[in-house]
Amino acid sequence: MDRLIDLERVGVSLGGLPVLRGVDLSIGPGESLGVTGPNGVGKTTLLRVLATLLAPDAGSGSVLEAALGTPDVYEVRSQIGFLQHRPSVIPELTLAENLRHAATLVGANAAKAETALRVVGLDDVASRRADASSFGMLRRTEVARLLITAPRILLLDEPFSGLDVEAQELIRALVYRTTSDGGAVVMVSHESGQLSSHTQRLLPMALGSLDQQS
Amino acid sequence: MTRVKVLLAIASVAMAVGLWFALTAPADTLQGDFTRIINIHAPSMWLAFLAFGLTALGSAMWLIRKQSRWDRLAQASAELGVMFTAIGLFTGMVWGQAVWGRAWDWGDARLATTAVMFFVYLGYLALRGATLDPTVRAQRSAILGVIAVVQVPLVYFSVNLFRTLHQTQSIRLDGITMPREMSIAILVNVVAFTILYAALMLARIDLAKAEERVAAESALAGDAVKPPRLSEVKDV
Amino acid sequence: MSFWSQTLEIARVDLTVERRLGDTMRIVLPFAVVAMLVFPLTLGVDLTAVSRLGPAVFWAIGVLFGMQVALRQAAHDDHERRDLYALLGVDPAARFAGRTISGAVLMAAFLAVLLVAMIVFYSPRLPDGWPGPVVLSAILVAVGLTELGTLAGEVTAGLHNRTALASLIVAPLALPLVIGSSQTLEALARDAGILPWILVLVATDLALAVAGVGLARPLEEASR
Repeated sequence: MDRLIDLERVGVSLGGLPVLRGVDLSIGPGESLGVTGPNGVGKTTLLRVLATLLAPDAGSGSVLEAALGTPDVYEVRSQIGFLQHRPSVIPELTLAENLRHAATLVGANAAKAETALRVVGLDDVASRRADASSFGMLRRTEVARLLITAPRILLLDEPFSGLDVEAQELIRALVYRTTSDGGAVVMVSHESGQLSSHTQRLLPMALGSLDQQS
Repeated sequence: MTRVKVLLAIASVAMAVGLWFALTAPADTLQGDFTRIINIHAPSMWLAFLAFGLTALGSAMWLIRKQSRWDRLAQASAELGVMFTAIGLFTGMVWGQAVWGRAWDWGDARLATTAVMFFVYLGYLALRGATLDPTVRAQRSAILGVIAVVQVPLVYFSVNLFRTLHQTQSIRLDGITMPREMSIAILVNVVAFTILYAALMLARIDLAKAEERVAAESALAGDAVKPPRLSEVKDV
Repeated sequence: MSFWSQTLEIARVDLTVERRLGDTMRIVLPFAVVAMLVFPLTLGVDLTAVSRLGPAVFWAIGVLFGMQVALRQAAHDDHERRDLYALLGVDPAARFAGRTISGAVLMAAFLAVLLVAMIVFYSPRLPDGWPGPVVLSAILVAVGLTELGTLAGEVTAGLHNRTALASLIVAPLALPLVIGSSQTLEALARDAGILPWILVLVATDLALAVAGVGLARPLEEASR
C-alpha cells in the first residue's frame, strides 16, 4: 500500500458552517504527522474524517485504500485507532472488563487484556470500575486497548492533555510501535512543542485548511 | 461479628418460642387456623414501622451531625424496613385470600397505604443505589428519609381514618381487645422479631463499615498505578 | 469476529451494565407498579370495574413504562461510545441485534413481574388456558418494544431532548403491539382464534427486525 491516507481538496461542513476547506493530505507507511493550531480551526474534525467517522462534503479521499463516504470504510475501521479528547469507556465496567470487551469484539485473545494492563501499569487497579477511575487511568486504559487492537492508523486528539510524564512516555511508545510496524500516526494539539518531539512532520492548521508550505 | 452471632442465636431461640406460642394459641372462632398468620403479619408490620422510624431518626441525625454512623443506621434500617413490609404485605395477602376471598381489596385503606409506603422506601433504596459519592448519597437519602416517614402514621392510622375491611388495632394503649392467649403469642413474636431485627441491623451496619473500609483503601489507588513497562509495549 | 459473536457480546455487556445500574428492576419496575396502583384508587371500590380493567391496564402500563426500559440505553449512548464501537469494527446491525436481545430479556422479566402485580391487585377474571397465550404475547411485545426503542434511540442520537423525543416516536408505533397483545386475551375470552393477533405481533416484530438490521448503517451515518 503506497499511501495509507490520501485526501484531495476535502471539505466538511457542520451545521451548515464550513469547518474544513480544501484539505490536501498524504501520509505513507511509517510516517507520523502533527497538526497544530488554535481551538476551533477544525483539527478534531480532520481526525474524525481520517477515522472515517465523518464523510467529506467536498473533495475525495481514502484511508487504507477505502474511499471515504462509501461502504468500503466499514472494512477498514477496525484498523484505525482513535484516542479522542474525552475517554471512551463503558463506565459501569471495570478497567479489565472494558479491555476484555474490546478484545472480544475484535476477535483477539482476552488474555491480551491482562498483558496490556500490566504493560500500562494498571494491573493492580484492573478491578476498579471505570466511573471510579481518574482521567489518567482511563487514558492508560485506552492506550492498553490500542495496544491490543494494534491499529495501522493511529489518530490522537490532544493526547498529552492532563497526563503525567509516565503516561506521556506511554503515548510516545505507542506512536513508535505504530510507525515501526508500518502504520501511520496523526496527532493534533494546540501546543506545537509537544508535537514536534513526537512526530516527524508538523503542519499548522488555520481556518479549516492545512498550511502545506510550513 | 461476635455480638451479631450472639444476637442471632438469641433471635433463633426467641423465634422458636414465638412459633410455639403461635401454634399453641387457640384458633379464632370465625377465621380458624388462618389467624395464626397474624403472628408473622403483625410483628412484621410493627418492625417495618420501627425500622422506618429509625431511618428517619438516622437521617435527621446525619443532617445535623454529618456523621457516617447515622447514615449507616438509616440505610440498614430502611433495607430491613422494606423487607419486613414485604413480609407483612405477603402474609396479609395470604390471610386476605383465606378470610376475605381475595388477596387484595381496594376498599382496604391500610393495604393501599402500606403498598404506597413500600414503594416510597423502594425509591429511597433506589436513590441510594444510584448515587455513587458517599457524602452526596447520605445527604440526598437523609432528606428523603425524613420526608418519607410521614407514610408510617398514615398507614398506622388508616384503619381509624377510613372505615374499611381491615380490622382496627387490637393492641392499644387503652387495652387489648383480643383473647389473652392470642395477645401473648403476638407479643412474644413481636419481641422475637425485634431481636431478629436488632441482629440483622448490627450485621448490616458491620457490612456497611467493611464496605467503607474497602472504598477508602481503593481511593488510594493512585499509589497502585505503576510505571508503564515501555520495553514490553511491542510484545502486546 | 462473526456477526452473532459480536451480537452476543454486546448483549452480554449490556445485561452486565444493567445488573450493576439496576435501572430497570430497581427504578422503572417499581415505578410501573405504583402506576398500576393509581387506576384502582381512582375507581374507588368498584371491584367489577377494577377486575375488568386489569388486563388493559397491564398492557398499557407495560408498553408505556416498557418504553423507558427500551430507551434506557439511549440515555447512556454518547458519541464517544458510538465511535468506539464503530472503530472496534462492530457491525451496526450487530449492535442493534445485541441491544434487542438484552433489552428483550429485561423487558420480559419486567412484564412478568408486572403481570403478577396485575393479577394480585386487580383479581381479573382470566379465561381458561390464559397462561400460554399471555406469555407468548408478552414475549413478542418485549421483542417488538425493544426493537422500537433501539431504533428510536438511533434516530434521536445526539439530540438534547432525545429521551422525550424517542418516547414520542415509540408510543404511536407501539400501537400494533398493544392491539395485538390485548386482543389476544379478548379473543381467548370469546373463544375466538388468537392466531390472527399473534400473527400481528410476529409480523410487527419481523418488520422491525428487518428495519433495524437493514437501516443500521444509514442510521449510524446519520447520527454523526
